[in-house]
Amino acid sequence: MSELNLNEDQQDCLQEIINVAMGQASDQLARYLDTFVYLKVPSIEQVSTLSLIETLGSNENSASVVSQGFFGYEGIRGEALLVYKPKDSDRLADLLGYEPDELSVEEQIIDLSSILTTTFLNVFAKQIDNQMSYSAPRLLAGSQSAVSDHLAQQSFNWDLALKVKITYQVTDYSFNCDMILFIPESAINNIKAVINRILEEF
Amino acid sequence: MGFSVLVCDDSNMARKQVLRSLPEQLSANAQLAKNGQEAVELLRSQQFDILFLDLTMPVLDGLGVLQALKEENITPAIFVISADIQPEMQNKVLELGAKAFLRKPVQIEVLNTNLKNHGFL
Repeated sequence: MSELNLNEDQQDCLQEIINVAMGQASDQLARYLDTFVYLKVPSIEQVSTLSLIETLGSNENSASVVSQGFFGYEGIRGEALLVYKPKDSDRLADLLGYEPDELSVEEQIIDLSSILTTTFLNVFAKQIDNQMSYSAPRLLAGSQSAVSDHLAQQSFNWDLALKVKITYQVTDYSFNCDMILFIPESAINNIKAVINRILEEF
Repeated sequence: MGFSVLVCDDSNMARKQVLRSLPEQLSANAQLAKNGQEAVELLRSQQFDILFLDLTMPVLDGLGVLQALKEENITPAIFVISADIQPEMQNKVLELGAKAFLRKPVQIEVLNTNLKNHGFL
């Protein structure tokens, strides 16, 4: 498995790019829920794809997972997963329950995930001079086999998994979800090159 | 006679982004703080004309800084530069006495316009 192996400056640069992307994604979330969202600094870590799939499937139906593919220029592509633990998807359902429309909770979780994913990645891409298009978001059963089957259907290898831990405090509620970006090696090298270019400008 | 400047952000890159966007006469002697606590301590011990302040930071966040400065009646011109662009947050920082809210990543033209509007250029 390839690794990012970022030095301190590169890590700081990636963290700041992610903070900016997260800020705008949260703004969209706040508008969607019509509430104020208290933001924390998102933590980012690199995880092994294998161990991640094992964790996700540690017990059957342990989580809701919404998956969406993204495609940019210069080999920047991958699959973004939003992972909700049962208590968090229940809280989300409570929050969304105040929405007067007739969408099911599943449809709303898909909608919300897609808003977070596409806003995050659009802003992320813009900062690294790229532009994304997306596949339709899909809700996967949160079992190990469903997630690994879905990943196995993709046409490229998952060389890197970047986990962005997101914690939102929404008025009386707090809910957590993980955004996991699966990225192939070509994209990793491209991201590193762009980070180095940004750093050289300073 | 120049203005004294303090830049407070937990990200090294974000601090450099602000410094790079400032005109030479403001950036030359600017001081830096890595979190809100460092900023408040510096502001207690010396006088600053301008504070550029991030919001989402460890130890003491930007709102905490705004509150502390208000309570202690320390009054630099504060420009908040943050990725947390929710309208409610923008209103909150203005209520707490910030001169303006600027979204990250900071744009050089926007920064300069704001400095002009408040008489620093």
